Amino acid sequence: MKLLNKSLLNNTSKGIDNDFEEAPQLSRRKFLIGAAKSSLIMAFAPLAMSLTASASQIISDRAFSPSVWFEIKNTGEITVHVARCEMGQHVGTALAQIVAEELGANWDDIRVEHASSDPKWGFVMTGGSWSVFQMYKPLSQAGAAGRLTLIDAGAKILGVSAHSCDVKDSKVISGNKSITFSEIINKGKFDRTFTPEEMAKLSIKSPDKRHTIGFDRLALDVPPKTNGKAVYGIDVELKGMVYARPVIPPTRYGSKVLGVDDSKAKNIKGYLGYEILKDQSNWIEGWVSVIADTYQSAIKAADVLKISYQAGSSANINEQDIIDEGIKLVNQKESGVLFVNDGDVDKAFKVAASSMSATYITHTAMHFQMEPLNATAEFKDGIWHVHCGNQSHSLTQPAVAKALGVKVEEVMIHQYYLGGGFGRRAYGDYAIPAALTAKQIGKPVKFIFTRVDDSKFDQARSASVQKVSGALNKNNELIGYQHYVSAGWPTLAMAPGFMPKALDGKGNFDPFSTSGSDHWYSIANNRVRTINNQVAQKAFNPGWLRSVGPGWISFGAESFIDEVANEINIDPIDLRLSLLDGKGKNKGHHPQSVNGAKRLKTVLEHCRKTANWGGKLSKNEGIGIATSFGQEREMPTWIACAAHVKVDPRSGEVKVKKITMTLDCGTVVHPDSARAQIEGSILWGVSLALFEGTEIKNSNYAATNFHNYTPLRMNDMPEMEINFIDSKEFPVGLGEPGVIAVAPAIANAIFNASGVRLRELPMKAEHVREQKAKA
Amino acid sequence: MIEFNLNGKVVRSNAFDDTPLLWVIRDEFGLKGTKFGCGIAMCGACTVHIDNDAVRSCSLPLAMANGKEVKTIEGFENKHPLQKAWVKEQVPQCGYCQSGQIMQAATLLDKNTNPSDDEISAHMSANICRCMAYPRIKKAIKEAAKQSTLGVNIFDPSISKDA
Ligand code: FES
Ligand code: FES
Repeated sequence: MKLLNKSLLNNTSKGIDNDFEEAPQLSRRKFLIGAAKSSLIMAFAPLAMSLTASASQIISDRAFSPSVWFEIKNTGEITVHVARCEMGQHVGTALAQIVAEELGANWDDIRVEHASSDPKWGFVMTGGSWSVFQMYKPLSQAGAAGRLTLIDAGAKILGVSAHSCDVKDSKVISGNKSITFSEIINKGKFDRTFTPEEMAKLSIKSPDKRHTIGFDRLALDVPPKTNGKAVYGIDVELKGMVYARPVIPPTRYGSKVLGVDDSKAKNIKGYLGYEILKDQSNWIEGWVSVIADTYQSAIKAADVLKISYQAGSSANINEQDIIDEGIKLVNQKESGVLFVNDGDVDKAFKVAASSMSATYITHTAMHFQMEPLNATAEFKDGIWHVHCGNQSHSLTQPAVAKALGVKVEEVMIHQYYLGGGFGRRAYGDYAIPAALTAKQIGKPVKFIFTRVDDSKFDQARSASVQKVSGALNKNNELIGYQHYVSAGWPTLAMAPGFMPKALDGKGNFDPFSTSGSDHWYSIANNRVRTINNQVAQKAFNPGWLRSVGPGWISFGAESFIDEVANEINIDPIDLRLSLLDGKGKNKGHHPQSVNGAKRLKTVLEHCRKTANWGGKLSKNEGIGIATSFGQEREMPTWIACAAHVKVDPRSGEVKVKKITMTLDCGTVVHPDSARAQIEGSILWGVSLALFEGTEIKNSNYAATNFHNYTPLRMNDMPEMEINFIDSKEFPVGLGEPGVIAVAPAIANAIFNASGVRLRELPMKAEHVREQKAKA
Repeated sequence: MIEFNLNGKVVRSNAFDDTPLLWVIRDEFGLKGTKFGCGIAMCGACTVHIDNDAVRSCSLPLAMANGKEVKTIEGFENKHPLQKAWVKEQVPQCGYCQSGQIMQAATLLDKNTNPSDDEISAHMSANICRCMAYPRIKKAIKEAAKQSTLGVNIFDPSISKDA
């Protein structure tokens, strides 16, 4: 499930095929340090390249456009190039901190630049909470290589031995002598190459010597976001551009335009015409683009266009059809493919003294990122330039190229700030209609989706159904566990090359719709099957939504464990602790999951203490607990979450009073933005649990704008207490994991407050009332 | 022809009377700090001041701005105490909603120099922050209320950092 894992990328499944190339892996590249135009430049190049020329030659020619990682100008300014997008996580700041740490740079000298698309960066994707996890080592090493080079050059100028030197505040220091980086660059010569083996051997600072990592820095992207100066995709203007807005067809797939009547539109001043878009990749079908000289005119004209369609074949699917299909699937023994298979589950259930099972449902949930989708496209000097905020050049660039029918190198994606990503801007298919319109009318086009257009073209989190079963022996020990998960699969729709082979070899599966089921509880006989819901797949394009699979799968898993505890009458925290022994496969491994399940145990014990567990509460109140290990077993972020709720016994209304969360995510690079991510993701968790959710109606999303999709607002905000375990372990992800445990903690709290067990997301007052009536 | 005062300057627009003020501000006068979020006055991303009231510019026909004083985030010239507090509390995540949040918050402080938690929530719940930076928005408003001396010069790393 790791992004650069070769076996995953080689694996293409049928269906829509992505032709992104395998990333040149950083580990197989040489690191070059050379001078060019009064700058010291540090870059990566493929191994073969550096054999034919010296480092500084390659760099000053930029002949092979090596990917520049950072450069130090002779003025002392250090620019870190970040191949990750900025969508609210201040990732540029965190990644620059890693470089600054090893380099010994003064933080005031640091700038960040976000890279445009260039295949030399390798596979680029900002998502999965991967950025710091993936970049920590290579950036630390790159910084260390830079330090070594500067020390060698600085020592020569100072006339001292390199061994006597250290770096601090952008200076090389030896005893009471020192020289600034900028002086070194003005005087020194640089031409140096590090092989991957040499890079691996460079010593990296021990945690107690750090001066930048783990300290708060004002995030570099914050000031322009307080004065209107930050430039987002929607702010781009190109010379000679016109505006366009889509008319989105009745079905996501297979629609065809039969005729367009624009007689009314012709009365609108500024209306320039329409285009039926011809997508050579067939990603979008039956789209009409409405063109005008202002956006307002495009909005108005699109509203009065009369288009007749032949809708795609699956035009009448509703939410209940998807749920019904899911229920059918999770009740078929052999459906889907095998993901976890420990021990002998069938035998465990056969010999069990008792068993129990429960089915959990989550409904369609949408992105509603604040900046509606948009892209601005232009053909210039033989290149298709696409301007937009996006989470992955590597997914977007080939998609646009294919739609246009041109080579990948002929498309250039320019990056901007993202007005929210949350997974919607990972596969940047919104750039396709922009590029096609520009192509068909031969002019630069700014293509903006209204909020309603954006909603219609969302890639929603699919509705899901899961069934969890447990087998108990006569001592009430959990001896068997089985979990079937089913949903529409985003990765199948958008990046099938990322789907690994199943354990039983019977096909591939979507790891982003499965992860979270491979828990760290030690249960000897344990089976997970993961199943694609094809009814969902046909109706709409399932998407990656912040926290992806674990966001809904843990709702089932962590609700169920509480249900078991209640059944056998033991404290649900005690039950969890007894299963977190950190033995066998739950021992974890170096570096990212050292100590395994024991760390989950530690956060759970900490959370128990801080959350008033077992303390006295007012009437109709309850505390519920849940744990999470983040986005994937291979990159665990250890979390325990307690929700304190009040349930109105009459109306059924649920109020979340407080969320208490303890996390261990290894080394925290930028503590304040880590906290900000957790604050935001806890509130996302509450929002998805109680306030969000829609349904599929005739193969479309019922929600279209903020009047009928209603994320949490400030007046719904609970109190929050967030504690990070002080850790020096390898840093893991933080952008999403905080979401995961919140919904099951609230469900468990509702049960503790009212005796009502809710097994459906979002949890609504009427569900509480219904259950009460039944009881 | 509609004439109004935009951040202290008189401007004229020939756009249709019913064009939302938002698009006139952004596309005709090039002030991109005011954002488009929903178009139906539900999110607050497009909030500007008209005669010192917070107004959703996505839903205000241009004609209604005739003769009025319109202020956008750019009109604060980086001098509003809320902007300083926003940096201090590191409020923005994606940042897209933040111009609107600041414009909305400013009208609260204009009328109430020391708002309570509940007053802040009530006033600010008109604006959505999809990144849910709400705790920091709240904190920053309180911080700005403490420093309520208007017109303080603020440190802006974006100027020195070109960020
Ligand atoms: S864009 Fe005006 S309120 Fe949402
Ligand atoms: S900071 Fe992203 S919407 Fe508010």
